[in-house]
Amino acid sequence: MSQRRQPTVLIVDDEEMVITSIRAFLQLETDFTVHGFTDPEEAARFAAANPVDVAVSDYLMPKMNGIQLLTRIKELQPEASRVLLTGHADKQSAIQAINQVALFQYLEKPWDNAQLLLVIRSGAERAELYRELRDKVEALDGANSRLKTVQRRLIEAFL
Amino acid sequence: MSSPAAELHQMAAIGRLLASVVHEINTPLGAIFSNTEVIVRSLELMQPLLADGSPEALEKAGRLAATCQNLAAVDRIACERIRSIIRGLKTLSRTDAGEPRRTDLNRLVLDTLKLTEAEFGRRISVETELGELPEVECYPQLLAQVLLNLLVNAGQAIEGEGVIRVTTGIEDGAVHIAVADSGRGMSPEEQARAFRAGFTTKPVGEGAGMGLAISREIVEETHGGAIGFESQPGKGATFHVRIPLRQTRRMGV
Repeated sequence: MSQRRQPTVLIVDDEEMVITSIRAFLQLETDFTVHGFTDPEEAARFAAANPVDVAVSDYLMPKMNGIQLLTRIKELQPEASRVLLTGHADKQSAIQAINQVALFQYLEKPWDNAQLLLVIRSGAERAELYRELRDKVEALDGANSRLKTVQRRLIEAFL
Repeated sequence: MSSPAAELHQMAAIGRLLASVVHEINTPLGAIFSNTEVIVRSLELMQPLLADGSPEALEKAGRLAATCQNLAAVDRIACERIRSIIRGLKTLSRTDAGEPRRTDLNRLVLDTLKLTEAEFGRRISVETELGELPEVECYPQLLAQVLLNLLVNAGQAIEGEGVIRVTTGIEDGAVHIAVADSGRGMSPEEQARAFRAGFTTKPVGEGAGMGLAISREIVEETHGGAIGFESQPGKGATFHVRIPLRQTRRMGV
């Protein structure tokens, strides 16, 4: 955990004012890297090429809704924590989101900054833990296969 | 307009509409809450920087001030958004018919469109062509209800993206308001039953099928006007409302 990069947060909302507000807040309170998109397709293109730790998305947007976008991000970045931030107090969409994209959190507008920060912080930690876990499993797999080679050689040497 | 069915219908329409209005208000509200906190926090951070007075501290304070200005500008836009939604809601806020008033029907069209904007979002683009109109003696709340009903119907007739076109003008001594949609249109059977109470093509829960029956009552019985439509399956529908410039009936519900 020597040179850990700063967590990257994606904010996607077709309303510019939401992005401006959340970005200003996160820049004041954290040193996270924040990328904002009003176009969900652009956000998906970004996630295809760059690491993302937390993706916060609106629900109702043109072209692609929030659940579709977060599904896409899940495919592109399985470790990223996905958060739906919606003004659409609609249980149906919440249930669909939680089931379909294994949502990390469902937040409603108007949002509370303290809660949003808590969610983004723990989302970033969770993403980091997932990455570490993946790295460790890979290391373990490598060690295991090396061990097997040694074992095979040892058996061969004795026979 | 005091029959229980009419009241129920009005409540259902207003309920649906409120859901989308709530959504539309929550977004700017969220921005205002957040920005206010960030501005207060920035001002707190600015105080020691200004007391420090070193060039670096002043530069930092300047950046914080610029952020505050930027966020205050966002707040203003957010407040204006909320104000325009509330202006639209006021038109509908009274549940009784209210008093007959001389009304600018173009204004009424625009106020009603403010309300459906939230529901239509970017899915449906609305075009208007509003001719010059004199003020007309009418029940504005009731006519707003008719317009809202026609607009909501038009929106529901459009699957995916489409266009709604609202035109106003004067024709044969009456104000003519037309609401045209690029939606799925109506079959001859649907057309024959459109104005009948209880008729609906919508899924259960989306409408009680009272809208057009009540709209006809408001336009024809209350205002001595006429309501009609033309439609072809697959080619959308156009509804026409005509309100006489001079009310021949005594206004009264």
